[in-house]
Amino acid sequence: MPLDIDRYAHLDSPVQRWDPRLKLASLGLFVLAVSLLQTLPLAAAAFLVALLWLRLAALPWGFVAQGVRWVLLFLMPFFLILPLSYPGPEAFRVLGLPFAWEGLRLAALITLKAVAIVLTAYAMFGTARFDLSMQALERLGAPRLLVQMILFTYRYIFVFLAEMRRKDIAMRARGFVKRADRRTLQVMGHFVGTLLVRSFERTERIYKAMLSKGYTGELRTLVRFRANGSDWAKAVAVTLVAAALLGADLVGPFRAAEQGWF
Amino acid sequence: MHVSDGILSAPVLGAGFAGTAALAAVTLRKMDMEEIPKVSVVTAVFFVASLIHVPIGAASVHLILNGLVGVVLGRRAFPAVLLGVILQAILFGHGGVSVIGVNALMMGTGALAAYGIWRLRRRMAMVRSTFVFGALAGATATLVSGLILAAALATTGEAFWATAGYVLAAHVPIKIVEALVVGACAAFLARVKPTVLADAEPQAAVGGAPS
Amino acid sequence: MSGGGGADWAIQVEDVYFSYPDGHQVLRGVSCAIRRGEKVALIGPNGAGKSTFMSLLNGVALPTRGRVLIEGLEVRKEHLQEIRRRVGIVFQDPDDQLFCPTVFDDVAFGPLNLGLPEEEVRARVREALALVGLEGFEERSSFHLSFGERKRLALATVLSYQPGILVFDEPSTNMDPLNRRRLIRWLQRSDKTILLCTHDLDIALEVCERCLVLAAGRIVADGPASRILYDRKLLEAHRLELPLALMTHELLHEKLRTGDLDEEHRRIIARFLHAHRHVHGPDHHEHVHIHAHPHEHDHLHQPVDESHVHGSETVILPEAEERGDDAGPAAGGRRRG
Repeated sequence: MPLDIDRYAHLDSPVQRWDPRLKLASLGLFVLAVSLLQTLPLAAAAFLVALLWLRLAALPWGFVAQGVRWVLLFLMPFFLILPLSYPGPEAFRVLGLPFAWEGLRLAALITLKAVAIVLTAYAMFGTARFDLSMQALERLGAPRLLVQMILFTYRYIFVFLAEMRRKDIAMRARGFVKRADRRTLQVMGHFVGTLLVRSFERTERIYKAMLSKGYTGELRTLVRFRANGSDWAKAVAVTLVAAALLGADLVGPFRAAEQGWF
Repeated sequence: MHVSDGILSAPVLGAGFAGTAALAAVTLRKMDMEEIPKVSVVTAVFFVASLIHVPIGAASVHLILNGLVGVVLGRRAFPAVLLGVILQAILFGHGGVSVIGVNALMMGTGALAAYGIWRLRRRMAMVRSTFVFGALAGATATLVSGLILAAALATTGEAFWATAGYVLAAHVPIKIVEALVVGACAAFLARVKPTVLADAEPQAAVGGAPS
Repeated sequence: MSGGGGADWAIQVEDVYFSYPDGHQVLRGVSCAIRRGEKVALIGPNGAGKSTFMSLLNGVALPTRGRVLIEGLEVRKEHLQEIRRRVGIVFQDPDDQLFCPTVFDDVAFGPLNLGLPEEEVRARVREALALVGLEGFEERSSFHLSFGERKRLALATVLSYQPGILVFDEPSTNMDPLNRRRLIRWLQRSDKTILLCTHDLDIALEVCERCLVLAAGRIVADGPASRILYDRKLLEAHRLELPLALMTHELLHEKLRTGDLDEEHRRIIARFLHAHRHVHGPDHHEHVHIHAHPHEHDHLHQPVDESHVHGSETVILPEAEERGDDAGPAAGGRRRG
């Protein structure tokens, strides 16, 4: 599980250079628009536009494909469940099971929208250092407390991952093998328990260290964002694309046509 | 357990964000400065622990542990789950940015329900076993989350009713796994370091904060 | 008793008791005083109260009875911010002290809490990172650094708010020999008041001129490191042992006498003993300079010129130590790892 979503934040591209506040706000609007789409052609268009973001951000396809593969895996069942359970005109039969057109359409719609959103999320969060993205969200109005906590949690995920790996090796070194039985689950419970005990002890030490350095309940930062004309131009462009997709979806010719087709 | 992008209808997504914002506001109230690092660091453990896979039959599932979050963090379980959901949506690259609200509401409510069950332990004269209550809390969290997920799917449209049914059925083995793991973990914590558990006696504060 | 003007004293601890709310008593009447610029080792077995003692120094814990003064200012709730500016504690596990997303944020944390202006904060971060040899690391994440780098970074996060007193909890734990050696040089060269709380008696021997032994919540010995760290009886009575540097010869002689060694191995040991006999051979105990490498000397230390009675312990100050004021390679041990 790669957790370094911001591994390509250092690349130089129009997306990486973009003020994170405007980038997150406008691509966020795009995500909102995509999740509102109802028609297949516009979902497909959104998917293509999302590919464009990635192209602009110069993110390697392989890096992105890793995440997208999981989404596709997760959505695969819908291509069976929806066509088989949808009460509508039958498209074809496989092994005697009736597949409905409308179900297939819905499954395709879901998949296109999901992948478009995931790709856009890469353009949003894969193109700036994670902590800067979070600071930008705070400037956009996300609660300060929550952002502070996210940054803390993020920092310690890596500490506990390392600790979990060490404990895991120690268990396997003593011959432990996970099986589908009750004892395995009990051992896992104890395993998580020891991690928790250690983490509580650690939080006490961290808190002491923070107090020692004059912590008064607030994390201060010197991060500043600056937006220039081209930052705004990009934001306006993305917002217009989002609005156009949504508008075409709502009033365009596709809605009626789709109802006719299926 | 989570729902991915692209499935749910806009009203459901909106309701998810609204519900999450409301519950987060309530459960984050009166957070003192010591709790900020504490809840965050403990959340990191849950995040990491949810990456653990356990085999069931030929397949394997990863732990959810939102019940355990409730058992350990009490009402702060909701913000903890929210942190976890946000980090998953951003860091994993599996998506989920548009469903942060729904997923946090679903998992976080489960965690709060688990805390409710866990607290009953004090009032029960007969059964006081931490294992039993931990297991109940673990199963309850999964049950509540599963129901909310099913409701979210069902409200999105008739087309998803069957999906909602499959989701509930598929969660039965997960409930068993969660119940046994959370039960074992709660019993372990009660024995080793009971102050970690949510309804333990309040811990003595370490040192003084500057006035 | 200690006290007096307060001007010369970095740390004064006066008859301090500390017990946890559950009644467990950790410190039972601790008194000691440390001068400005002194380098002191606080040694003691596990559970002696060393960590608690450290927490009292910057008010992370407050004494149940007695008082602690930092540069003459009593540690009380009203002065905590000022006290914490004066005392920097470097914790044992760097991951406890590095809680920010980037190296810059971690080092800037203290100065920002002091409310310093932005330019000053940036200057301090640069300076602190340079002091530990991590220039240019600002934008990195601490979790991608090696353990040795993180340990140095933890020190930088403390140096950035410029405390006059540095307290180290087990500074050398888990360090590889090179990083440990760099740290020792750094400590020897520093002109701050330094308190090392450690089980690593070898580092105490190399860095500190004075040594406090804490056992069962009391200071049971306080004197020159050159005396206490050679006192086998005292150390062993408190679940400690002689620094390894002082035992090497003994252990090797023992091995030659009783070990089942082949000729080759015997020759190697004999050659080693011969080559190093002048450093700390068994019959050279009166000579107390234990620098393994003669060129790594410290700056000149102000010899302390008085003895004073402190608690029940007579404090015997170091016999005039003349250490060469050898500047050494100025950037030694400060290269990027």
